[in-house]
Amino acid sequence: MHEAPPAKITSPVVSLKDNYVRLIPVSLIVAAAGIGTALLLSMDMQRFSFAYLTCFCTLMSLCLGGLFFVIVMHLTRAGWSVTVRRIAEIIAMCTLPMFVLYLPILIPLMMGSDEVYIWNVEGWSIHGDAEHKAKVLAEADYPPPIEELKAMYLNRWFFGGRMVAYFLIWGAMAWFFLGNSLKQDRTGDKQITAKMQKHSTWMMIVFAATLVFSSFDFEMSLAPFWFSTMWPVYFFAGSMLSALATITLIAICLQRTGRVTDEITVEHYHDLGKLMFSFVVFWGYIAFSQFLLIWYANIPEETFWFAWRINPNSEGVMTGWQWFSLVLLFGHLLIPLLALMARTVRRSKNFLLYAAIYLLIMHWIDHYWIVMPQYSEMVSHPVGPAAGLAFHFNPLVDIPCAIGMAGVFVALFCLIARDRPLVPLKDPRLGEALAHHNP
Amino acid sequence: MTDKQNQEMEDQKLLGLLAQFEDPNTLIKACNEARESGYKKIDAFSPFPVHGIDPALGIPRTILPFFVLIIGLTGCAVGLGMQYYANAADWSSLFPGYNFMISGKPFFSLPANIPVTFEVVILSSAIATFLGMWALNRLPRLANPLHRISRFKRVTNDKFFLLIETKDPKFSREQTESELNQWGASAIEEVNEDLTDQQLPSWLQLVGLMTALILLIPPVLIFRAEGMTNRKPRLHVVPDMDWQDKYKTQTMAPNLGDEKHPVYLFVDGRAMQEPIPGTIARGDLDTDSEYYRGIKSGTDSFATLHSAGARTGLQDAAPQEPSDQDTPAAESSAEPAEPDWVTQFPPNVTVDQALLERGQQRFNIYCSVCHGYAGNGDGLVNVRAMALAASGQATWTAAKSLNEPEVIKNPVGRIFDTISNGRGTMGPYKSQIPVEDRWAIVAYVRALQGTGLKPEGVTKADEDTVEE
Repeated sequence: MHEAPPAKITSPVVSLKDNYVRLIPVSLIVAAAGIGTALLLSMDMQRFSFAYLTCFCTLMSLCLGGLFFVIVMHLTRAGWSVTVRRIAEIIAMCTLPMFVLYLPILIPLMMGSDEVYIWNVEGWSIHGDAEHKAKVLAEADYPPPIEELKAMYLNRWFFGGRMVAYFLIWGAMAWFFLGNSLKQDRTGDKQITAKMQKHSTWMMIVFAATLVFSSFDFEMSLAPFWFSTMWPVYFFAGSMLSALATITLIAICLQRTGRVTDEITVEHYHDLGKLMFSFVVFWGYIAFSQFLLIWYANIPEETFWFAWRINPNSEGVMTGWQWFSLVLLFGHLLIPLLALMARTVRRSKNFLLYAAIYLLIMHWIDHYWIVMPQYSEMVSHPVGPAAGLAFHFNPLVDIPCAIGMAGVFVALFCLIARDRPLVPLKDPRLGEALAHHNP
Repeated sequence: MTDKQNQEMEDQKLLGLLAQFEDPNTLIKACNEARESGYKKIDAFSPFPVHGIDPALGIPRTILPFFVLIIGLTGCAVGLGMQYYANAADWSSLFPGYNFMISGKPFFSLPANIPVTFEVVILSSAIATFLGMWALNRLPRLANPLHRISRFKRVTNDKFFLLIETKDPKFSREQTESELNQWGASAIEEVNEDLTDQQLPSWLQLVGLMTALILLIPPVLIFRAEGMTNRKPRLHVVPDMDWQDKYKTQTMAPNLGDEKHPVYLFVDGRAMQEPIPGTIARGDLDTDSEYYRGIKSGTDSFATLHSAGARTGLQDAAPQEPSDQDTPAAESSAEPAEPDWVTQFPPNVTVDQALLERGQQRFNIYCSVCHGYAGNGDGLVNVRAMALAASGQATWTAAKSLNEPEVIKNPVGRIFDTISNGRGTMGPYKSQIPVEDRWAIVAYVRALQGTGLKPEGVTKADEDTVEE
């Protein structure tokens, strides 16, 4: 319709310049201090592992959301998003080093620890100890017990192998997009965009498959007897929401420090705001769909997961997880739903900055709510019903751990961004993106 | 133009001036100029959406989103309220609601109602958007004077137009025209009031008539079907709703496995499980013995309860049969001790005018057929059955007059128990009559007894309670 105006980068600074040299050590110190504090104050490796896994999963889903953003923008040949796509490409590239961050969980697991993943022990059973299991199985004449079926998938070697495969696939896909995009910065070859669009098709399918199974592996297998086919969609909804919040946050931070001042305009923030709004709704929709089906069917092997988080324990005591559930309902769905509804607020950079930070905190709470009750269950009642399910929120452990992990992310981002341009300089759709206008 | 035509044109009301432009940039420029020189009633027309035309025309942002938000929130309230009313409302007698207990589930539970609420919000918002858009654009319009200008037809092809209305306070025929020329108009046309016949076109009238006739067919068919007998089986529109895949209670569930490994829905093969021992269904925890059984609390041990239950129907009915008449002694010795009946109405039964009226109504429905409206044992069923019994066509035990001294002597608890569990050949009514209505009947029976014979032995307390 419109002829794209000539693409011209007008900002004086479009990269981190030399600042990354200073930023990396600072953020690494923050990371070490935060995670170290958490480790010291938890005084218990298992407790620390769960706090660490919470933060890891938060960050992991965020990076996967970045990868999805890049793939879907190529898949739809989006023009508007070109100016913020490089930020997403760098976030996506963080998926590969994330493997190193998973090692503190994976190495003990490969060495046979069942401190985090309870299925990682010979003869694990939903029926408690082996004696009880034998008795239950003798009474019920069902052909093969569910544990044996699940052990075909949940065993340490297959699990470890899957993990290596996931991170290699994600890393390869992220590098494909980042590397080619950087190459285009130098050559300006339009065929590179065509190539990325072509390969984004099957990559989307591969991404979907890996995201589905990795979401099962990372968090759902903490409760190995639980069933929810909605889980990967739930994981994805939060993942994309947090990625959008991170892209917005990084873009605003970059512009406040005088970088890419001209390229990312209020129109791009408006679109990011719209997407954030829609993914707030999508997250709520999926979270409720998952809850409603389980609530309605009322089958014990499904309801227990929500019962830990919503019901008082069997002694009638509120454990504290109920408050987290309410915080998610209001803080992750209803409040941002109303707050992001108006056009004027979505066009306000100041507001979006706070909204992005807020949504990232909510995303962390979401994962905390997923991961930590499993620890409470393990500690309070290794076997049997969750009668005395306790509450294990400890701000002195969990908050430093989250701050530390945020430091890790900043360090990773700087390490990958270095002095590379933070917008694709010669993308054929850059002109379209610069002239982008919301009706 | 002749003078006559000119005269005609002047008779017609001038609505505005329409200026033609050759490209969108000139149009936007002209819009800006018009807005800046103070014109308010202006509108632009273009073959495609032109970015930036809204601010150029000075059009404020539409209020449609707020309208939709309000309608959507209203839809949310209506959707929730509708479900509450249809599931849990227990309001006045005018809008009683439908709070029926089903499978012991709670009447109202929010999660189950969210999907419908959500759908109502979406539906009402969509309809509000659609209708709101039409209303804000003042649609539908059957005709627009602009369409009578032949030049304007190219607005769907390659020309751009700007309209300035005469309603604009700044409008003046000559001044505006010269301004439009100045802003780059390639042609200017007058827009005149449409004086053509404003009736509906005849083909549209025909379409309307045909639609009305077609819409009449279904009600006519329905009226026709109502007056006819049809022996064919009915049409099953939704077969899996008419024949549902389900197991009936008190049956065996089919074996889903094979002979060697039978797999049933439940381990014992039943389609439905018995209540778990030691559990009580919701609403059935009748711990208040005085209220639910008419027995003084603390005295109704499990044993007396059982004997009270067992006595009803079977053992008491036994003496009526001739074979058992031979052993009255054995019968009376087997008769368990009478429970300690309450002599006062339980504390949560307030005997007042409303309760007595309720009791009268229930009594007339359930009891009067045998016991008679005055409780004298002369109900229609009783009279007829006695006549049949006298001629040997039936066996019948006469219904008791409730005004006999021996009945009046009974404490209220015993009367309540009689209504609940039956006595002699009288059957139990506890499945038909709720507890509060049974107490209402007891109160009414006491009132009847008060108006009838004045027997000796009625406790003062009972009378006081009735007259309260």
